[in-house]
Amino acid sequence: MSGPREKTLRLRVLALLLPAALAFAPTGCGELSNDELNRGVESLSALAAQGQLVAGGVARDATKTTYARAMARTLGEEAQHEAEKLADATLEEPETADQRHAAVAVAGEIAGLLSELQTFPGDERHGALVQKHLAEAQEKADAIVAQLSGDAP
Amino acid sequence: MRAIFKIALGIIAAIGGFLDIGDLVFTTQAGALFRYDLLWAVVLGVVGIAVYAEMSGRVAAVSGRPVFDVIRMRLGFGMGLVALVASTFVNLLTLAAELGGIAIVLELLFDAPYSMFVVTGAVALVGIVALLPFGGIERFFGYGGLLLLVVVATVYHQDPNWGDVAHGFVPTLDSSALYLYFVVGVFAAALMPYEVHFYSSGAIEEGWSEQNLKENRLNAIVGYGIGGILSVALVIASGYLFHPLGVEPNDLGTVALPMQGAFGETGLLLALGGMLFCVGGAAIDSSFAASYNLAQFLGWEWGRYQGPRRAPRFTASWLVFLLLGIAIAQSGINPVEITEYSVVFSVVALPLTYLPVLLIAGDRSFMADYANGRVATTLGWLYFGVIVVLAAAAIPLLLVTNAGGG
Amino acid sequence: MKGEGEIYVVHRLLDEQICDSEGRRVGRVDDVELRGDPPRVTALLVGEGLYPRRLPRRLARLVRRISGPERWGGNALRIPWEEVDELTSTVKLRKKAEDLGLGMGDDPERWMVRRLPWN
Repeated sequence: MSGPREKTLRLRVLALLLPAALAFAPTGCGELSNDELNRGVESLSALAAQGQLVAGGVARDATKTTYARAMARTLGEEAQHEAEKLADATLEEPETADQRHAAVAVAGEIAGLLSELQTFPGDERHGALVQKHLAEAQEKADAIVAQLSGDAP
Repeated sequence: MRAIFKIALGIIAAIGGFLDIGDLVFTTQAGALFRYDLLWAVVLGVVGIAVYAEMSGRVAAVSGRPVFDVIRMRLGFGMGLVALVASTFVNLLTLAAELGGIAIVLELLFDAPYSMFVVTGAVALVGIVALLPFGGIERFFGYGGLLLLVVVATVYHQDPNWGDVAHGFVPTLDSSALYLYFVVGVFAAALMPYEVHFYSSGAIEEGWSEQNLKENRLNAIVGYGIGGILSVALVIASGYLFHPLGVEPNDLGTVALPMQGAFGETGLLLALGGMLFCVGGAAIDSSFAASYNLAQFLGWEWGRYQGPRRAPRFTASWLVFLLLGIAIAQSGINPVEITEYSVVFSVVALPLTYLPVLLIAGDRSFMADYANGRVATTLGWLYFGVIVVLAAAAIPLLLVTNAGGG
Repeated sequence: MKGEGEIYVVHRLLDEQICDSEGRRVGRVDDVELRGDPPRVTALLVGEGLYPRRLPRRLARLVRRISGPERWGGNALRIPWEEVDELTSTVKLRKKAEDLGLGMGDDPERWMVRRLPWN
């Protein structure tokens, strides 16, 4: 094995190991920038959108109840997690306090709706209602994003 | 006509589950985030694994050397050991992700907790391996994986804008870190080395010789071609449904939503069934790859056909890897997250296991008349270049994009 | 010229798979013994005890912890060159593994004996 090639291969191994340790290191939480708040609300919108697809399947009786239940549970947990994350963090820009409050409220709404879907995954009427309310929640989330973008310098 | 059918079945059996959890996750995410723009990266990865697999299969058939024999011979003990450790680490992560994936799909189909399904799934895999012959195992998962053809049917049903789809096959390089991360991810998910290590060892288990070279080439082109078609279909199906809605697929169950949308409960069940077979086959392939690599590097007796009596260390190592995989899958880390890391680390380690095979495949003193011709040489070195670039970019992109979280 | 030939043979032998007369895989050539002037290959050396030799110093120390010090007849075996039958894609030996003390790690007797709780 030639020296230089051995060296580059060894460097590649270090490149694998060191950043791997960094990647697994816990990320610091606490400070929430405008961008991160934005990101959080966008993910809420995405969760609501996906929830509507699942609820829609229930509403049309075009899905399996175990699937709908498991998906509703997973998505609901993610919404709940997002709610807690947004509520716990300290804001970098205090002017966004209203938006953060609204975001936490929407997150809670979404989590609640998905929890209902989880409880009644076979009920078509419930599915249709959840789908409708999730659409409204998504609109609220999108409105918050628009406000945040408007506020951004 | 019968001959073609027989060949097709053989190919399907040889590839045994075209996609794994990495492909399912990255293609669906790529479609949702970038619609059809990453289709070129999927094709690039699929052609890459076909090239790597063809070379490895040819080397195994002509010289009787599986991948880690070639690696120890070409890199020597020291660097070979590095390759082994890196490869084993990646295979373990992959195995854990696949075992977790099996449990998630079972959870979506049946009402019982995830942790129970991890153990049940692993026990079922051990049973399948113990009871079925080697070829039977691959047939079982290969045919089952074909259930995913429902994704192709879904795309047909969706009838997307084909002009936009075609545009996605043209390579474009967006400067956004997230886009580049997914270029790496989609490529790496298609080019997972454990598949090739498994394939090359399987060739020797089946007693391949020069007579199998045509079969080897067909397996590489048609077998991975089918995998490519399925991957492309997943990107399109996901892009069509999720991109306009802004859905972010962070869960394995999301992969099946487009099929539910197109064909209701039937589509959903076919999709989940296909996913189960693909991920199950991948769990077997990755666990065996880990044992094959270890045994081959150290010179132990190895092989599924040898059985536990003639290859006890190989068998014991396989069980140990399975147990470790179960432990990691049970640790509470989301399998989808484990997948992200296993795919990214896999491409970082890829140059180490790819280069020796490329060198031996082109070496006339080992391969005689069957050494790389002009096409294989060109493609082989071209892909080495691509792999090195992506390997260097992978971890920085992983960190910058927070594993695709944005 | 002759020196180059020897180096080639060592290079060709090192890390190769060893098989016994029945085709069983029984380890790899972990080191090669050279004696005389000009140097000739007199034996193949096999075993985990030889791994530390092949590694840079720090790694060698770690590996020696796992494989233990070189114990000739235990984790390090000497296969005289005369025992080699042919050299193709593996090093084929004239005798069976047991006759040379090779492949003990895969000896089924050993595995079954270990499993008995009263041993």
